[in-house]
Amino acid sequence: MKSYKLKIITPEKVFFEGETEQIIVRTTEGDLGVLAGHENYVSDLPAGPFRVKIDGQFKTAAISGGVLKVSKEVTTILAMAAEWADEIDIEWAKRSQADAEKRLKETKSDFEHRLAEMKLKRALNRISVYNKK
Amino acid sequence: MASSNMKDIKRRIKSVESTKQITNAMQLVASSKLRKAKEKADNSKPFFNSMYETMCEIVREDATFSSIYTRKRKANVTLMVVIAGDRGLAGGFNANVIKLAQNRYDEIVKAGQDAVILPIGKKAIEYFEKRKFKIMTRYENIGESITVYGAMSIADKIIDVYNKDKIDRVELFYTDCVSPLLQEEKHMAVIPVDIQTDKTNISLTNYEPSAEAVFDSLIPRYVAGVLFGAIVDSFAAEQAARRIAMENATDNATEMINSLSLVYNRARQGAITQEITEIVGGANAQE
Repeated sequence: MKSYKLKIITPEKVFFEGETEQIIVRTTEGDLGVLAGHENYVSDLPAGPFRVKIDGQFKTAAISGGVLKVSKEVTTILAMAAEWADEIDIEWAKRSQADAEKRLKETKSDFEHRLAEMKLKRALNRISVYNKK
Repeated sequence: MASSNMKDIKRRIKSVESTKQITNAMQLVASSKLRKAKEKADNSKPFFNSMYETMCEIVREDATFSSIYTRKRKANVTLMVVIAGDRGLAGGFNANVIKLAQNRYDEIVKAGQDAVILPIGKKAIEYFEKRKFKIMTRYENIGESITVYGAMSIADKIIDVYNKDKIDRVELFYTDCVSPLLQEEKHMAVIPVDIQTDKTNISLTNYEPSAEAVFDSLIPRYVAGVLFGAIVDSFAAEQAARRIAMENATDNATEMINSLSLVYNRARQGAITQEITEIVGGANAQE
């Protein structure tokens, strides 16, 4: 399989940089696979699972919101946070799920509600990626 | 007379020595923190650069592009995000960035507009509260332990206020840690996003759901990235400034101890000489 260059960058670090044969990401419009030679493409990514194929093997990670940019030279994912499935701190994810659920119930303002909802989605995404590893 | 003078000098030497120990310890702490902080600051740069580039590309490729985050509104109220340290004893670090913000504030007021401050770091809060500036929210003690989510919650708050039309512009004041020896205070316009449209490499790109939607959803992440980078960078700069300040203080203390020791030894020698003279004088008188 032909491979192409992939870069995953978070504010904390360059999470991944290397060759890949295929990635599968969840965009706001649905799951999307990217092979070498894909057309130029930009899409918004919600918190979701992410799979990358290296040497015929799929590796799974959790991505906490970002943007996918496919161009001829390089495919870039800019994410607020990214973790490989086996690096996820499951206790922390469960705690933040509980915290987000509590805040969803208590909070009144639209703004706080939206923040809590986003936090819950990130936590649930981490937990589901962890459970599927 | 000579002995009481000597006691005074001895006491001063001791006090300078204990000060030197403290400044020396602070210097060591600052340089170990600096190493970690500088790494964190350098790691945050690729994200910001690619994010900014992506946003520029979106605007460049679409001639009909329009977003509330790039359009220049009539600027009535400017939000000034000022990032300073939580502690002093860092040379001119806090004063420099606050001065830059104050100058800009004076400019804004002179133009007949209004400004609201969002101070980050105790020193910035103290300064602006004391002078009764309008303050939006304050954040303290976040420099060392800032996370992406921390930066995101600040960014979300700013964007929420912007979308409610309470502010028309967001500007950021922080210190860039250029190198361990050089810190530079910086002023940056965050919203509206300053897009460079001079380069024209138009490639047909498919945007989903749409260029505007992607751009607008990038904005909170962009602002969070900018804030995260600036906070981390400022913290590194603070450590660098403190290290230099404490190094100078330690050097000064060493110098002071040396010159005081000289004075002390001279006084001691004087006292001995006087004693001998007195004894010799006494012996001569008995002969």
